[in-house]
Amino acid sequence: MINPFEDFKKYPYKKREIPLDRIVQAKQRVMDQIVEGYMKLVEQEVKDLVWLVENSRVFKAYSFALRTIQELDYDVDDIEELCFEIDKGRRIPYLISGPAGIYVSALCNNAKEERIRLRLHELKRTFHFLGYRLPEGKTLVLEGDVGDFIGAGLSGGKLIVKGSTRNWAGAGMMNGELFISEHTGQNTGGWMSGGEIHVDGRIRGVAKTILGGRIYHRGKLIVPHSTTARE
Amino acid sequence: MKEEARGRDMEDGGTRQKVRDIYGFIENNLYLNRPDMEVGDESFNSALLFSLLTALNRGKELIIGEPGLGKTTSAEYVAAMAYRLPLGLIWASEVSGHPEQTEEKIIGRPDLGRLNQGEEVVVWSYLAQLPVKIVDEINRLPETKQSMILDGVDRGNWEYLNDVIINEEFCLFATANYQDRGTNTLIAPLIDRFDVIVESRHPGTNMALVIGMKDRYENILRSPEYEKGFQEILLERGDYLEKMKRMEDLCDRFGDHMEREFDVKMLSQGEREEVRDCMQEIPLDLDANAFLRTVIAELSFCIKYGQKRSDEHCEEGCHYTGFVCHHIKNCISNRFPMSVRTYSQSLAWLNGDEAVGIEQIKAVLPYILAHRLQWKDDYLAQRQGDSRRDPFQIYLAKEMVNEIYRRYNEQSRHIKNALAVAYQALSGKDLEPIEGDHPIYAEIKRDLEEVR
Amino acid sequence: MERKENRYDPLLKEVWARVRKKHFFPELPHPTISESMDRVALEIKSKHITLSQSFMEEAARHLPMDKVIEALLDHGVTHYTFCPWDFHTHLTLYQEAKKVLGDKQMAQKSTDYFMDVVADTHCFKEKDTPISDLYRHMDRGVLDEAIHALYQRIWGEDLNVSGHEDISRRLSRIPYLDRKPWPESIHRFSKIIQGLLETEEKSGTLNQPNTMGQNDFGRYSSDEMDQGLKEFAMSTGDPGEFKEVVKDLEDELKEAGYPSHGGMGLGPGSPLDADILFYMKLAESYSLPIKKTPIEKSGSLYPDSHSPWELGKPFRDIDPWTSFGKIMPGITQIWERREGETFGEEEGTPNCIVVIDSSGSMINPRQHLSHAVLGAACASDAYLRNDATVAVYNFSHARSGDRQVLDYTRSRMKIYQTICHYFGGGTKLDIKDIESLQQPSRPDIFIITDMQITNLEDLVGYINGLENRVTAVHIGDNTHVRQFRRSMELRKNISIYSVQKKEDIPKIVLGKIREYFRSVS
Repeated sequence: MINPFEDFKKYPYKKREIPLDRIVQAKQRVMDQIVEGYMKLVEQEVKDLVWLVENSRVFKAYSFALRTIQELDYDVDDIEELCFEIDKGRRIPYLISGPAGIYVSALCNNAKEERIRLRLHELKRTFHFLGYRLPEGKTLVLEGDVGDFIGAGLSGGKLIVKGSTRNWAGAGMMNGELFISEHTGQNTGGWMSGGEIHVDGRIRGVAKTILGGRIYHRGKLIVPHSTTARE
Repeated sequence: MKEEARGRDMEDGGTRQKVRDIYGFIENNLYLNRPDMEVGDESFNSALLFSLLTALNRGKELIIGEPGLGKTTSAEYVAAMAYRLPLGLIWASEVSGHPEQTEEKIIGRPDLGRLNQGEEVVVWSYLAQLPVKIVDEINRLPETKQSMILDGVDRGNWEYLNDVIINEEFCLFATANYQDRGTNTLIAPLIDRFDVIVESRHPGTNMALVIGMKDRYENILRSPEYEKGFQEILLERGDYLEKMKRMEDLCDRFGDHMEREFDVKMLSQGEREEVRDCMQEIPLDLDANAFLRTVIAELSFCIKYGQKRSDEHCEEGCHYTGFVCHHIKNCISNRFPMSVRTYSQSLAWLNGDEAVGIEQIKAVLPYILAHRLQWKDDYLAQRQGDSRRDPFQIYLAKEMVNEIYRRYNEQSRHIKNALAVAYQALSGKDLEPIEGDHPIYAEIKRDLEEVR
Repeated sequence: MERKENRYDPLLKEVWARVRKKHFFPELPHPTISESMDRVALEIKSKHITLSQSFMEEAARHLPMDKVIEALLDHGVTHYTFCPWDFHTHLTLYQEAKKVLGDKQMAQKSTDYFMDVVADTHCFKEKDTPISDLYRHMDRGVLDEAIHALYQRIWGEDLNVSGHEDISRRLSRIPYLDRKPWPESIHRFSKIIQGLLETEEKSGTLNQPNTMGQNDFGRYSSDEMDQGLKEFAMSTGDPGEFKEVVKDLEDELKEAGYPSHGGMGLGPGSPLDADILFYMKLAESYSLPIKKTPIEKSGSLYPDSHSPWELGKPFRDIDPWTSFGKIMPGITQIWERREGETFGEEEGTPNCIVVIDSSGSMINPRQHLSHAVLGAACASDAYLRNDATVAVYNFSHARSGDRQVLDYTRSRMKIYQTICHYFGGGTKLDIKDIESLQQPSRPDIFIITDMQITNLEDLVGYINGLENRVTAVHIGDNTHVRQFRRSMELRKNISIYSVQKKEDIPKIVLGKIREYFRSVS
């Protein structure tokens, strides 16, 4: 039988690779795994028709996310890229804001880097629950406006928001610092038991139930109310 | 001329230079026109260049153009110079395209005198006997006659009344005007048998004036004395091969006469054979080879139906929408790669190159493809308004070649790797075919699957 | 004027032959060297590459001159063969960069650098090139340094750059060599280098050209720009986005000589109407083929084949040659004659009146893609290309003056100006306006409307009395439509199309025209 490729018998087949190929391939692999993890979380969470914000529910989603990403080898850029992928909606066709933010928080908390910066300026979608359970030793910088429950359950880490948050910022935080350069919404610091919240812009409303910790508004302590002032 | 080419030319006995001199002589004295194509750093007139190559490599050329722009005369000059035949003889052998042409006028007729004595002897036409065949306005011939001529030139066989002559060498030049009242169409199966299509263009205002000032009756390629001699031989009833030997002797004498009197050098049969042998030896380099495969893939492939077919339509949203296969209706024939090989080798030989490279392939492709592609109406409509200097079909072919070239340029290494791996796989190694986003990869994969 | 020979010309010729072969013989003219060019290393205008002698000599302090020339040519040629390759790609990249950066100059600079990275990386990977050697010793600004830091990472070559770790790390993740995601890639690229661009802007160095030359529009011919704009109009599908880019680059387009043939009706000092250009280019993608010259029987009989002669058949068709001079049944052959086919004469194409509704209920074509305007544009082009003339009646509330009547013309620009005009008022046409455009030759009439016309009965009455071929295309279904249909039911010369998807309007219009043309030929 004729071999129609006879002319290429002596062609030295070699794949010329440059570091770019390896970087892009590796990144693609990791992103595929991260996206797959997110899709699993979403599948898990959409079993119920409505995703409600309940402490146990949120914690369950977070634990699931952590288990999914445990073995993954990723870095800060991958996390940022996931945010872009979720925002674009091409590879990830649906966004459920709560689980998305929880998943991103899990990635941040589990990342090798101690300092993480996420540039979220131009994203169209709003992420909630960013900085959830940020542990001690970690710093998370969010550039751009973000959603509800930012810094919820903060556990000793430092969360810096260069923008505004919506409602329930610092909800249930236990330790750590939350800095917000612009405005917050209602119920700021709701159910927090420790740590500090610093807001440089407008606070639409402070939560009625605050168990501990402090809230500063433009450098001035407002929660608990200043004892010297009262005196 | 390049130094390396000059060196190789010494080996070829100076034949290459002779061919170039013939080109130069016709270009400067007989067929005055503008260069319209570049190969390397040389400029050529495409009609003249391809006519010369056709004469050398036994091809079939279709020359189109407006009336009176030198379609037939360019072929006549090349035929005269390349085959050492006086112009008057060539004129006498030409067949004109008109509907009342018959087999007897084109190929041969019975010798009526001998027929009345009970002997069947064929009087062969000049067209059938001479190696050069020129058909003027072939599209005015009925289809049956077009087919008859092309059949004859394909094989070099001419049959009539149980007699046959076989041309040792032959080439065909056919001219055609653009569509107008009084012309028929050249149907697709016939037009595919032409190797190349060229346009004999208007030479431009200034050159046209120069041509207009020339004495139309003065032509040094004419020689009534030798023409008479040739005609006497051709009219004889003897053995065809014997006649051809004597013809060749007379050609030698005519050639010597032209060289002596006018310093015009023409090619002998031996030299033409030597040229053809040299041309056929020239290999395609790997890039030319891979590029040509890439072109064929885009012109024959269909992911849905296995291959392109004229009566099958592309699906909306096909993955290969951006490739040439989406813009054409028909599948390219097997004659196409044969034509490409022949003409690219001829061009490489003329340039003195050791191998055929992408440069030669790119140069010849549009002229070999233009008449073979049936474009979809939508595509034609979109491109009809483009500015161009070539006739529409040649322009589209050039654009297509550029498009495929770009794709090849981007992934040449990958394609060559795929072909190398395919060789290994087909030789028994356990290798998976290389994937890629081009029909060539799919075709390679299919070849491997069908063997396994 | 004869060009003075440069002392590096022989070397350039030798290197160029090598580079051409390496890049598979691109169709580029022989490059030249300029002694007066000193701001950039090379320039490409109308495919012609010019190298800067001063740059070459400076670089030759570290590298052999032939390598310098080769590197520069590799860079220039790869821009031609790989990125951007064509004008459409260039515009698409600029558009994405502008979305991120918001500033024209920054977007242009980002696009330039992106294209440089793509071209250089492709060349480095696929060809044997000394580009990295050239960059190793080049004088660099801050942005150049960052880019070269990127090259270090993605090429694995030491280019003598330190720092820019963060930025080069982030830039290295972009798949430069994959053409499909280039728009997304330049989006990310621009985002990452935005800070550096802003620094350059503050320091006033933003408008300085890149060392390796600016990728301006001078490299494209007018035809290439034409084709590119057509493809760009198709790919954006949005007049606003198209306009934003074209308006930004209006000066550059004019400087590059676009348009050359005045098809836009532009002259010196005339602004480019990007909206009209958008519809012009988009309509070109929906073209109908030119009517073919019909094949018809020639009426003459020609000898076609032979058949045996029989007693009783006429003698006049006997072919003496094939009969060998004998008249005998079984031997004698006669000619069978057949009517020839030949190309007929082209029938003329009737003229066309385009009636377009630009009332408030119709889309404003300058803000969003109006399929109604596109359909009207396609109809006009089809008739123009078949040598007919077109008249346009654009109406909103005609009695209040919201109407434009364009008499028969072959001026594409005028037709488009009238079609694209948007009144946005009420919907009431004036029959007299249409009647004023009628001709004895009965032009075809195309009406594109949403049928919510207050004096619909006037229109119905008028059309009912016409002999012209009328095609009415409307969007949606409502009582007016049903009324219109009922009135036109029996008329063979009137076709009414209801369109659910606006995207179908051009197809319907062209389909109808195709039928009309077929019936004529």
